[in-house]
Amino acid sequence: MTEWDGHGLPPVAAERMRRFASSGLRTSLLTVPGAAGVKSVGFDPVGEVMGCIVQHMGWSGFGGCGYFGGVGALGGFSGYGLGGGTVTSSGRAGFVGFGPYVDALYHGYGTALARMTEEATAMGADGVVGVRLSVSDLGNDNREFVALGSAVRSQSRHRPARVFTTDLAGQDVAKLLQAGWVPCAIAYGISVAVRHDDWRTQRQSSWGAGNTEVSGYTELVAHVRADARYRFDQQARSTGAQGAIVSSMGLQIRGIEPSENHRDHVAESTVFGTALASFHRGSTAPTRSLTILPLR
Amino acid sequence: MTADPTALGIPEDAMRRLAEMRPGQSTSLFTSDLSVNEFLLVREAGFRPLGLVLGTSIYHVGFQMGRWNSNQELTVLSQAMYHARELAMTRMEAEADQLGADGIVGVRLEIEFKEFGSDIAEFIAVGTAVAADDQQTPDGQGWRNNQGQPFTSDLSGQDFWTLIQAGYAPLGMVMGSCVYHIAHQRFWQALGNVGQNVELPQFTEALYDARELAMSRMQAEAEQLAAEGIVGVQLLSLGHRWGGHTTEFFAIGTAVRPLRADHVIAKPQLVLPLTDS
Repeated sequence: MTEWDGHGLPPVAAERMRRFASSGLRTSLLTVPGAAGVKSVGFDPVGEVMGCIVQHMGWSGFGGCGYFGGVGALGGFSGYGLGGGTVTSSGRAGFVGFGPYVDALYHGYGTALARMTEEATAMGADGVVGVRLSVSDLGNDNREFVALGSAVRSQSRHRPARVFTTDLAGQDVAKLLQAGWVPCAIAYGISVAVRHDDWRTQRQSSWGAGNTEVSGYTELVAHVRADARYRFDQQARSTGAQGAIVSSMGLQIRGIEPSENHRDHVAESTVFGTALASFHRGSTAPTRSLTILPLR
Repeated sequence: MTADPTALGIPEDAMRRLAEMRPGQSTSLFTSDLSVNEFLLVREAGFRPLGLVLGTSIYHVGFQMGRWNSNQELTVLSQAMYHARELAMTRMEAEADQLGADGIVGVRLEIEFKEFGSDIAEFIAVGTAVAADDQQTPDGQGWRNNQGQPFTSDLSGQDFWTLIQAGYAPLGMVMGSCVYHIAHQRFWQALGNVGQNVELPQFTEALYDARELAMSRMQAEAEQLAAEGIVGVQLLSLGHRWGGHTTEFFAIGTAVRPLRADHVIAKPQLVLPLTDS
């Protein structure tokens, strides 16, 4: 095994590309309807492509308790009117608010996708459909990011400058293309926020509080979701797209104990989806759906 | 659906469009929470998605003890479940209003218990704000409802398309909630029923009462919107975290009004799918 410097594709992947070039064998991860779908809009499956990276995530930045949260309002996303106590990862002030952790997540997903598209480019493909992104925890703060998809090549004279990627299935890609929309890239937005459990939060969430909104937690969750959606928008926009279809949204909450007998909460929000561009000339998409009633 | 892709300019035009794209171009961008099918059908129904809209509220649900042997509504809990959902919905509507939307489609209303504690839940409303291509409705009233708010609908894109085709417009999501405590049976009562097949009138009545309350509250909301009817009603019994005898009965649906007098849709073609789904 030769030493690999981390640039380009690992030796085994490069070897697979060479083997692919010399052999006529075509592979794909598409389902039968998916493969039929992409065929119906003039794409041929080329091969399955993969990109992965194992990262050590040892430094998540100074999370603290978020008590000095006001500084989070400097820079980054502030359109939501950041309150005093919530620090999102986009609001940078030194190492506050899990910025390095979110950067590491972006680096992980970004590298996995980039290596996958590099394989697709090496195969002479125009796009990758049905991309699955996954993260697995390998223990000791090590995580593996994997991107897996099926490369396709169009039966056209034009070649896009960059390979397009989408997490939509082959059938969905076919329906979009029929209607005049082409997927351009996978977009994602990730944000982490921390908030100090102040006396008001503690009072509102205590057993005897009765019916009340817990305004601190609501603020934490609203801000982290808004920031993740904002970063998703920005990423989709940066590709020059006109729209984006969200495929999944997630939110995780965990408690941390920055000091004795005091618990604060950290929220992590993710948004994944595909950015779209329209290529039809009219103002509305020429969809021609039929009303059918399946007999089953 | 087997039209020649090259005749339609696919994939030639699509690839040309991608080749022309320059990263960093400033464009107006929409986002949407719809699936591809829903997205395309909403477009075909004459609406453009403007953006994903979301409202959230983290709510501490108070405490109320049900008397062990009585059927009763737990009003404190009913109010909490209603108020928290309403907060989430109102915030979602406010986001849509800012985008200048005519309505919100595909709304999902969810409750998630997070790591904050057992009485605290996140109430979330998510949907896609849309604007109509044609601002005029056939009846001249516009798309917004009589409260001046964008309409809301929890119907899927497919149902929404069918509704518009049939000459109806959604007005708003309407809901009613009732948290009810069902009495335990007294010892002698339970003993008398051993080995017998009998109706338990007390339980039957309790379930009737609770569902009626939830449904009549939903109906009252629809009347406020001057609706003709409610479609897609779901009547759910949600146990949440209150144990066996306390249940939330939740009724939710989309209030609609007619857009025109006739309500005819094209006769559907019958197909026999060759796949299991």
